[in-house]
Amino acid sequence: MTPLLKAWSLYARWTARYPAVRAIVPFIPVVALWAMVAESGMFPRVFFPGPLEVVRSFGSLVYKGILPDYLEDSVVRLAVGAAAGMALGIPLGVLVGMNSRARAMLWPILLFFQAIGDIAWLPILLIWFGFSLTTMTFVIVYTVLFPVVLNTALGVRSVPLELHRAARSLGASRARVVWEVVLPGALPNIMTGLRNGLGYGWRALIAAEIIVGTSGIGFLMFDARRAGSVVEILLGMIVLGLLWYIVDGWVLAPIERATGQRWGLVTQ
Amino acid sequence: MKSLRLRDLSKTYFDPYAGAHVTAVHDVSLTVQQGEFVSIVGPSGCGKTTLLNMIAGFIPVSGGEILLDGRAVKGPGPERGVVFQSFALFPWKTVLENVGFGPKMRGLKKTECERIAREYLALAGLAHAADRYPNELSGGMQQRVGVVRALANNPDVLLMDEPFASVDAQTRMTLQEELTRIWQERRPTIIFITHDVGEAVFLADRVVVLSRGRVLKELAVPLPRPRAWDLLIEDAAFKALSGQVLQLVRSA
Repeated sequence: MTPLLKAWSLYARWTARYPAVRAIVPFIPVVALWAMVAESGMFPRVFFPGPLEVVRSFGSLVYKGILPDYLEDSVVRLAVGAAAGMALGIPLGVLVGMNSRARAMLWPILLFFQAIGDIAWLPILLIWFGFSLTTMTFVIVYTVLFPVVLNTALGVRSVPLELHRAARSLGASRARVVWEVVLPGALPNIMTGLRNGLGYGWRALIAAEIIVGTSGIGFLMFDARRAGSVVEILLGMIVLGLLWYIVDGWVLAPIERATGQRWGLVTQ
Repeated sequence: MKSLRLRDLSKTYFDPYAGAHVTAVHDVSLTVQQGEFVSIVGPSGCGKTTLLNMIAGFIPVSGGEILLDGRAVKGPGPERGVVFQSFALFPWKTVLENVGFGPKMRGLKKTECERIAREYLALAGLAHAADRYPNELSGGMQQRVGVVRALANNPDVLLMDEPFASVDAQTRMTLQEELTRIWQERRPTIIFITHDVGEAVFLADRVVVLSRGRVLKELAVPLPRPRAWDLLIEDAAFKALSGQVLQLVRSA
């Protein structure tokens, strides 16, 4: 047991000093297993390349500038779509959450359209807008919108009545109550909505890129299939995973730590 | 003189479970002078919180009127500060921002809001906690913030709804003594709702006993100030008054 314990204490000390270690170490056995299976010759190399080949392909695609370009295309599409989805979704969520008449009118409609999945819109969008950026943006905005609206509405309604009353009796107008009380109170839920929305949106984007296909990571992967390049398909998959890891670790988690968790609204 | 007058105030609402109209507050008339400290005491369900919510403007009245300085009030407003049982601090604002919220809503400059907030925090001995968030404070400290947040807005009347009911007994006594000290320093008009007879008598100039939505009796509290628990707890006059109020509440 002692060597195991020692290894664990080493790991604990290293992660304390370099938090990045925590993100990398769990993947070591996964990659090792992958390499072992690839090296064993169980499958033909063309169908099942090893990690080194993927790294080499990564290097060459970066060198040719294809990967950075495609990555940028995908990330910009997601960012624009997410921003538009939030710009529409948060006000709509506040309206639905605060106004019972608006809720009565809009809730059934929201549930109905939420059920029509993002990709289910693609056939009609392709007829309307063709293989264009409009089609892809529509799909992402659509995908991000619903989790943001529904979670914002939920968050708005979870703000205690006493906080509304406290703000009003301290002289806040109704408009300022929205800004000072309702929005910050709903923020943890808005973040949940954003997290879900981005997650779904990312998947929808890859699907849209595969179908609409002019550039982007999804296009890269599907194009690689046409060329029979399993290495590039694997590379695309790994990039998808890594990118989400980065968005979560560098954008979402820090915001959550600085807001809801700091305020004691959500437990860590 | 900015007196608060309640004239034949009543509240009726429809109880969907009972399928009938229920009267929670029944023709309550009461005048509170500027600078006066009035406790309203009664058993649970006597309508005391409903009464306070009407004065605060949180719920509409069914009958009668509320006059502040001779003018009828409607809806919530900064001239009637409220201290809540649940503290109702804004979790996303620091202690300083919470206390400075009222002045900020009045449109004062940021530096001025901070100056006022710091002044009131010092009054409650909370200067060191200015940059903390509410969830980092104990219950007693949170309610101190709740009290000075309402005071920092300089209201004509301070409405307190069982503010010390959810803190432990020792802290409660300390808070009660601090409240009487702050009241003597600043002389705000206070209406204090409680079900605790000892608390009602300890704090107030006048105790109003409420029963089934009506004023059962009003009693003056001629105890000298400053009041401290270790003196009053054995005081014959305090005991006699508390006993009298307790009898009224229990008979209610």
